[in-house]
Amino acid sequence: MRRARTRRRAAAVAAVAVAVPLLGGCGIQETDVIEAGGPASVDAFFNRDSEMLLFFRSPDGGLSPVIRTTGSSTVFGDGYAESGSAAQNPGDTDGPVPTEKVVVALLAGPRKEDRAAGLTTSLPAARPGGTVEVELLPGGRVTTRLPLALEGLDSTAVRQLTCTIAYSQDADGQVVVELTGQDGASTSGTCGLAPGTTGNVPGTATSGGAT
Amino acid sequence: MSTGPESGPVLGRARVRAFGLRTRLLLAFLLVAAVSAGTTAALTYREARNALLETAQDTAVTSFREQVQQIGVGLPVQGGEDLEELLRGIARRGKPHPWVVFAEYGSVRASSGENPVSTVITPELRRAARANPHGSFERVVKDGVPYLTIAMPTVFKTGPYSLLPSGLVLYAVMPMTDEQVNVDALLMAARDGALPGLAVALIPGLIAARSVLRPVRELRRAARNMGSGRLDTRIPVRGSDELADLARTFNESAGQLERTVRELREAEERARRFASDVSHELRTPLAGMLAVTEVLDEDADHLDADTARAVRLVSAETGKLAVLVEDLMEISRFDARAAELNTDEIDVAEAIRKTLSNRHWTDDDRVRTQLPDGIRARLDPRRFDIVIANLVGNALRHGGAPVTVRLRTEARSAGTPVLITEVMDSGPGIRTDSLPHIFDRFYKADAARIRSAGSGLGLAITLENVKLHGGTIRAGNLPGAGAVFTLEIPLRAEGAGG
Repeated sequence: MRRARTRRRAAAVAAVAVAVPLLGGCGIQETDVIEAGGPASVDAFFNRDSEMLLFFRSPDGGLSPVIRTTGSSTVFGDGYAESGSAAQNPGDTDGPVPTEKVVVALLAGPRKEDRAAGLTTSLPAARPGGTVEVELLPGGRVTTRLPLALEGLDSTAVRQLTCTIAYSQDADGQVVVELTGQDGASTSGTCGLAPGTTGNVPGTATSGGAT
Repeated sequence: MSTGPESGPVLGRARVRAFGLRTRLLLAFLLVAAVSAGTTAALTYREARNALLETAQDTAVTSFREQVQQIGVGLPVQGGEDLEELLRGIARRGKPHPWVVFAEYGSVRASSGENPVSTVITPELRRAARANPHGSFERVVKDGVPYLTIAMPTVFKTGPYSLLPSGLVLYAVMPMTDEQVNVDALLMAARDGALPGLAVALIPGLIAARSVLRPVRELRRAARNMGSGRLDTRIPVRGSDELADLARTFNESAGQLERTVRELREAEERARRFASDVSHELRTPLAGMLAVTEVLDEDADHLDADTARAVRLVSAETGKLAVLVEDLMEISRFDARAAELNTDEIDVAEAIRKTLSNRHWTDDDRVRTQLPDGIRARLDPRRFDIVIANLVGNALRHGGAPVTVRLRTEARSAGTPVLITEVMDSGPGIRTDSLPHIFDRFYKADAARIRSAGSGLGLAITLENVKLHGGTIRAGNLPGAGAVFTLEIPLRAEGAGG
């Protein structure tokens, strides 16, 4: 009896041992998500000399860059040869679009075509007449005075400002941006959206009460 | 397990055994072959399938990236006919198969197919594409159809060396039907390769089973021959494996057994011849002594009383001695298998009556008979006479009168009728502890009675005579009192066998 049972169990084990490799992996199985190479680089026809890059909030909570043409500059072929040269005078109209102008455009909010793609902004609507002051500091830092209170802005809004200013100053966006609000609060950080860089979450160093 | 192979050696020979050596060996070979063929086939199949799928996937991912890199988009991406036309362009150039391309940007959803949103793309793939800008793919099986889904986030140049994710993610969904067909073909090929392997494994299995079974069969046949008396049986020894060792040991044991049996037979033969010779040698002087004692008996009346008593004692003892010697010679003939059966067809009742009347037992009322007439059998008249005389004489001597002799025939289940003769006495019966030994030579049922009228060989000679007729004899006790001897001899209508 016991021997018969042992034999039967051994036979079952053997049958399973044969059946599993034969039947287990038949056909095409599902897989997990597997990473395969880098992203696809598409042509967005971005011209730094005549266009600016604004960052709005996409429905999934991330930031989406939007290319906006400035009304004044129409020189296309001329600016193309010198695009990306950061050594140019920021105040010159022939160079990249001034950062002040870019920030004003960002504060003006998404346009109709942006909203059509589901893009929104986390920044409050700008009061008219406010001025933006941009000051370049040595060591790749830039300070911006904003015509709005920094207190109460969420992290997406701060990132929108940081990234927009960073990419306006530098083609790589690798600039430390210091923001100072009307309420005197200030924050600094980097954009960190480019592939391969670890994003520094802005707003880590806030200090209030600077009159 | 209870109905093992040992039960019924003659029957089991013809029967195919469910778990015999052959079956077990074949099963073991098949199992080994199945495991090895199955494992090989499965591993080969798996490797080939993975290579096939990887090639298809790599081709698809690479070509999708190439296709996507050729497009240009404006930011923000505008949904609508233009975008769909762009996607259809990518879809047409799909490699290795046409695919359906989906675009997701913000809240814009578009595709080259009919539905703007795919039901195949999993949330995990979407999350991976959004979390880090890498191309990635996932194989999904939906409704039994395998799909390859590729997610391709897009980046654009913000400077000569810097890239920025555009927020536009393109997905390609490619049904892997051709790969499915190829993989199924691989599976079929693996299975078709493994099954003939199993069939081929049967051949060495059969050969191995045969190489084991043949010596075993020879050994069994030899053992049976030995059992039926052919002690010179030997097995041919082949090779030098364990079975050859077994055969050699069997041969050696058979040789020793044969030698021992021969020695025993020779010793027995010598002893038998000695007894026969002794009786023969005694017969001649005994004949002379008998003649002398007869003369002395006649003259005893003229002698004085003491001498006459001594002479009569010597005469009686000499007579007993003569009977003993005759019985010994009879037994010797049985032992030497020199006893012959001279059969004749006789009327059994008539023969018994003659026996009783010859011994003068029917003169008074000591012996009663129940002998139906008309029972005829082939018997040796002399030996049957001895048997009946011994049984009745024994009953009269040790049991008590009246003694009943009953004769009848009975049909046995085997179909042959048997002649049954019963001799019953009215004595105290035989003690139960004596019953098994009652037919032994010189056995005394009553130990206190050292000397008796008989030679002590009467029942032994009876037994031998019955055996010679192919019959049996039993001793027992009646329910009341008295011993009963039952004699059974198969009736042979024809004089077949002797």
